[in-house]
Formats: sequence, C-alpha cells, structure tokens
Amino acid sequence: MDPILEVRDLQTHFFTADGVVRAVDGVSFDVYEEEIVGIVGESGAGKSVAAKSIMRLVEDPGSIVGGEVRFKGETIVSFEEDENGERTESEEMLSNREMRERIRGREIAIIFQDPMESLNPVFTVGGQLREFIEINRDVGESRARETAVDMLREVGIPEPSERFGDYPHEFSGGMRQRVLIAMALACEPSLVIADEPTTALDVTVEGQILEQVADLQEKYGTSFIWVTHDMGVVAEICDRVNVMYLGQMAERADVDSLFHDTKHPYTDALLDSLPRPDQTVEELKPIVGVMPEAINPPPGCRFHTRCPDAREVCRRTNPEPRDVSGPDERTHRAACLKHEEVFKVDYSASAPIENETSAGFDVGRTSTDTGAVDADGGVHGSRGGADE
Amino acid sequence: MGIYRYTFNRLLQAIPVMLGVVTITFVMANAIPGDPVQIMLGPSPSQTEIEAIRSRYGLNKPLWVRYINYVAGVLTGDFGRSIFYGEPVTTKIAQRMGPTMLLMTSSYAFAILTAIPLGVISAKRRNKPTDHASRFVSLIGVSTPSFWIGLMFILVFSFHFQVLPSTNLIMPWADPVEVRNAATRVDVLVLSARHLVMPMISLGTLQMAALTRIERSSMLEVLSEDYVQLARAYGVKESAILRKHAFRNAQLPIITILGLQLTGLIGGAVLIETVFQINGMGKLIVNSIFRQDYPLIMGTTIMFGAVFVIGVILTDLSYAYIDPRVTYDEVD
Ligand SMILES: Nc1ncnc2c1ncn2[C@@H]1O[C@H](COP(=O)(O)OP(=O)(O)OP(=O)(O)O)[C@@H](O)[C@H]1O
Ligand code: SF4
Ligand SMILES: [Mg+2]
Repeated sequence: MDPILEVRDLQTHFFTADGVVRAVDGVSFDVYEEEIVGIVGESGAGKSVAAKSIMRLVEDPGSIVGGEVRFKGETIVSFEEDENGERTESEEMLSNREMRERIRGREIAIIFQDPMESLNPVFTVGGQLREFIEINRDVGESRARETAVDMLREVGIPEPSERFGDYPHEFSGGMRQRVLIAMALACEPSLVIADEPTTALDVTVEGQILEQVADLQEKYGTSFIWVTHDMGVVAEICDRVNVMYLGQMAERADVDSLFHDTKHPYTDALLDSLPRPDQTVEELKPIVGVMPEAINPPPGCRFHTRCPDAREVCRRTNPEPRDVSGPDERTHRAACLKHEEVFKVDYSASAPIENETSAGFDVGRTSTDTGAVDADGGVHGSRGGADE
Repeated sequence: MGIYRYTFNRLLQAIPVMLGVVTITFVMANAIPGDPVQIMLGPSPSQTEIEAIRSRYGLNKPLWVRYINYVAGVLTGDFGRSIFYGEPVTTKIAQRMGPTMLLMTSSYAFAILTAIPLGVISAKRRNKPTDHASRFVSLIGVSTPSFWIGLMFILVFSFHFQVLPSTNLIMPWADPVEVRNAATRVDVLVLSARHLVMPMISLGTLQMAALTRIERSSMLEVLSEDYVQLARAYGVKESAILRKHAFRNAQLPIITILGLQLTGLIGGAVLIETVFQINGMGKLIVNSIFRQDYPLIMGTTIMFGAVFVIGVILTDLSYAYIDPRVTYDEVD
C-alpha cells in the first residue's frame, strides 16, 4: 500500500539577519492510511517548522528550499535543478490557490501548538468552527452548525449547543484544545497534523484527550502526525515514530522496535530521560548539554557534541537515516555510524572523542569544555558523505 | 451588566471629573492678569460705570463666593453671561457648537476613512512600493502643522484657482432660505461640502497620518497571530483573512488612539477655525481669551472638557463592543 503522505529530504530555512537558520534540513518520512505517526524531538528540533512546511504555511523570513512533499498523488512541494544546480520550484507543484481549495483544511488539517493563541478572541468558538466546516465540506450554514455541535460533543465539551456561542476566553486551555481537535476532525480531512496539542495541559486532561483522540481516530480512520517531545505520549498513541534532532531525522521505526530495540544514541538518551515507574528521580538521566543552534549546526553527525558514543569519524560524516532493520522488523532506519556494516565506515577503529558527556554527568551539564570539539570542527565531510 | 447600565455608570463617574474641570477652569480664568471691565469700557471710564458693571457680573464679591455661585449655576445649566456679548454663555455656545462639531466629526471621518484602507494595504504590501508611498505620505502628514496646510490650501484653491471658498462653514441642515446662493436643499449640501473640504482635510491630516501608521503596525501584528495562520491553514481566502479574521482585532489600538487624539483635534480646531474664519467654538474661545471674557472662557473650556469626557466614554463603549474579552462590568 502506498503512503498517503511522502516527505523526502525536506529543507526549510529561515533567512535571518544573523544568518541562515536550518530549521528543517533534510527530513524524510511517510504516513500511511489510518496510522498515527509521531515526530519527537527536543525543543527547537524543527518539529513545528516541518509540520507547517507540509501545508506550505511557512512564513517570512522562512521558506522551503528543497525536498519533496507528495500527498495522495498531488505534489505539494517539489523542486527542479537546472544545469547550474540552481533550484526552482517545480511546475507540478500545486498552486497556492489549489493548496487553499484542495488541501488546507479539506485534506490536511493542523492543530497548532498553542491552544490559547489559536482561536480568534473576537469571534465565538462556534462561529469559527462553523466557518471552517462550511469552507471545507461545502455545506450550508445550518448544516455546518449541526456538524460543529456534534463534533464539540464528541470531543467531550459538555452542553455543546450552549457553549457554541461562547468566546474563546470563556473556555479553559483544555477545552480550547478540544475545540481545536474538533475543528480538525469536523472538516473530515484524511490527515491531521497535531503539533504538541497536549503539551500545555495538565497530565489528567492530556490523558483524557489522548484517549478520545485514539477513539476518534479509529472511528473516522483519519491519519495523524503527532508532534511531541514526550516519549510517553508516543508510547501511548503512535504506531510509528520519527525522532528528530536539529533539523534532521535520527531514527525511524515502529513504536515497539523504537522502544525495545533502539538503534540511535539520541533516542536512547531521550528514553533515558523519560520518567518510569521503576525508577527514582535520581536515576533519571537528562540528556547532557543543550542542543546546538540550528543557525550553526555542528559538522558531521549533528549529535556528536552530546553523544556518549561519539567517535572521530562522527565529526566528519553526517549520516542520513539508513535501513538498519533486524530480520523480522518493519523498516527501521537510524542515522548513526555505529551501524558500521550499513554505513560502510570504520567506526570501531575510530578513536572516541571527548565531548560534553565525557566529563561525567554532573560536570558535563555545566562544563564549557565543548570548545575542544568545536575548535576542531574544520575537518568534516559533507552530508551523506558515507555514501561513497 | 448591560450597555445601558454601563453608560449610566460612566456618566455618573464623569461628574467628579467635570467638577474638577470646572474648578481648574475657574481658577485659571481668574488667574489671567488684567481687568475685563477695563477692556469692556475702553479707556478712562467713570467709577460709577465700573461699579455698575462689577456688581452686574458679580465681580465685586470675594473669589470663593463667586466660585460657589458659579458651580451652583453650572449645576443648573447657567454658565453666566458673556461680558462682551452680554448674552448668556449657553446661548453663545449653542450658536457656535454646530460648526465645530461638524468640523471635528468630518475631520475624524476623513482621517479614519483614509487611514484604515491605507494602513491595511500597507500591511498587506509590506515593504513594497505602495507601503513606501504610504509611509512617505504619513511622514509628511505628521510633520506638517495643520494651519500651514490650511494656509496653503487657501493660497492654492481659493486665491490662485479660485475654486473653493476660504471662509466660513455652512451647516448642511441650514434652511435654504437663509443661505446665500442656495435655493434648494441640494444647493445647501453642495455649498456646505465646498466650504468644509479644506478645513476638514487640514485638520484631519495629522490624525490620518498617525492612524495610518498605527493601522499598519497593528494589522501586521495581527496577521502574524496564530489564529490568522489557523484560518489560512483551514483554507480561508486571503481577502477574507484581511477583511474578517484580522481586521476586527487590528482596530482595537485604533479606537484607543482615537479617544486620546481628541485633545489634539480640539486644539487643532481652534487653529483651523481661526485660519478659515469659521465662527465656531475654537474662534469663540480665542476671542474670549483676548477679551478676558471670563464667563465665556470658562463656559467654552468646560464645554470642550465635556466633549473630551464623552469621547472617552464612547471609546470605551466601542472597545467593549468590538472585544468580547472586555465586558461592561469592569467599571464597578
Ligand atoms: N520565524 C522564524 N524565524 C527564525 N527562526 C525560526 C523561526 N521559526 C522557527 N525558527 C527556528 O527554527 C528552529 C526550529 O523551530 P521549531 O519551532 O520547529 O522547533 P520545535 O521542534 O517545534 O520546538 P518546540 O518543541 O519548542 O515547539 C528553531 O531553531 C527556531 O529558532
Ligand atoms: S553517528 Fe556518532 S555521534 Fe552520531 S549518533 Fe552515532 S555514534 Fe553518536
Ligand atoms: Mg514546536
């Protein structure tokens, strides 16, 4: 079966006064029908930018500069290269008007990160819902209103017909988030992109909403891209996961494989930082150091400044995710040179390097000796250099 | 709380404010050096004449008695008599209020009706030629004094081309019989418009320029809000986003500014009425100051104070009307 959404080597950059921010820098993933795909990563990894890029909603100073996005046979993003290597947007790309009329809301709906800012404060909640339903389902006002009320009921808003005429400020954060979920589902898209929709909520409400979404997903058969930085949420609702680090994909696998047969040190670190019932707080291991800036990413493997397994070769080669699946696994990809046989590099012969992790747990988080790594950054291969 | 209760409460609250205005005006008017009676009677009047006038206007009583009398009078709607005209101050104000209100409201209308579209277009075509042009016009607008614009208009359109009248205003509701060169209502309206256009633009340009910039930045801010992006993400047309999803939110700062700019408009009206020889409140206040016509100075100043207070109340009312987050309860 073909995926409904294919993202290939997507690149979205922001051209700021300080330089080019490579927020999304070569990301690929697929979404199949009726599945929930997770995108996980730390704050700043580029998750939201990737999500907006899929709908071509990136705004100045950002723009999509490369890659492909295909959705159900339509081309949302595509580039052509001329002899000089100049990239131009390809002709087959949907026009802005087609995006608006055929894709946005109708086929792909998005739920933004911040429920408090996502609803227009001067219009009623019901009015906003009704308008989007009218636009995307070609129904009249009264039919749209009925649908809106039904959907509000389904996402767990009590007395939906009374609340219909209320303004956003009369709803709590959790209720607004439900409204946004209702909005997305009411337009009956094939794909919903949910950008950390539950992060701003407390755990109880988050749990309720996740459960309801899982039910609704089953009922309507909608596919989801679920963006989060929380591995716990991933475990709860996702079928497959993409782990993002600094604008690139680190690992991609089915949820079970990812958790039980982790193949990338960054995923390991993320999982170690996750509280588990069998652990005390002291045993929690936060990921050492902070993620570097996307404006000036480290050469080689982007994770090498914080990776406990980093070796010399990691400084020079930036691995793209490759198939490292075991015998009875669905595709499991990882972008890590540790998998020597797949990447054809001499990882084990390479000398371990010192980075933030080497100094040990406590010191490492405060130490500033990372300079030793950066100072040497001059020698590095280009991305995907492992191919040769 | 309903809008009527709210308005009523706001009006109640305005009473102490107005009392303050009355007090300050009274003190200031009496602090002006010089003797109005002397000015009235010309050089070397007889002592009995002076005494007669003084007692007629109550000027022979101590200041605090005059103050109490004055406040008591104001409360019953009696602002005293103009020393110069000899008529009740209220009569004078009633005669002169029309032209000033016409001038101020039309200038506001001119400013709003030009600034809002201009600001929206500037925001939409940010950093494109249209935006630069509008920025240039605004810059000139805020840095040119209104009386200078008025004088230039007179020079060009009244003296040079002789297409527009340079003095006076004609009320659009004036009786055709009493208006020169007018036989019908339509004549009056046309005449009124021809008289109004230059003073209106002179007075409104500053507001227009300032509002354009505010509208632009406010619109830009709203256009970058998540809820606007969400509308876009749900396939709302760009025109509908400008017209509906962003527009209403962007007007909130404009309303606040409009209320505050009322003082500037009142000050400007005084100048413009002088430039265009309009017999309105502005000219009345200026002349009464020259003539040290205390009752008239106080009456006109208090009137302008009342206009400002009402303007602020209207601002708050429309704010609450546009923004559902602002309720009518907040005043208690
Ligand atoms: N408008 C912008 N201008 C410049 N840089 C931007 C802009 N928007 C995002 N970025 C940069 O792009 C990178 C990725 O941002 P993004 O919002 O996608 O992160 P995220 O993974 O969604 O993080 P979070 O979990 O905090 O939401 C960051 O380095 C951010 O600074
Ligand atoms: S390639 Fe090297 S630095 Fe990167 S994740 Fe693997 S071991 Fe760590
Ligand atoms: Mg985000």
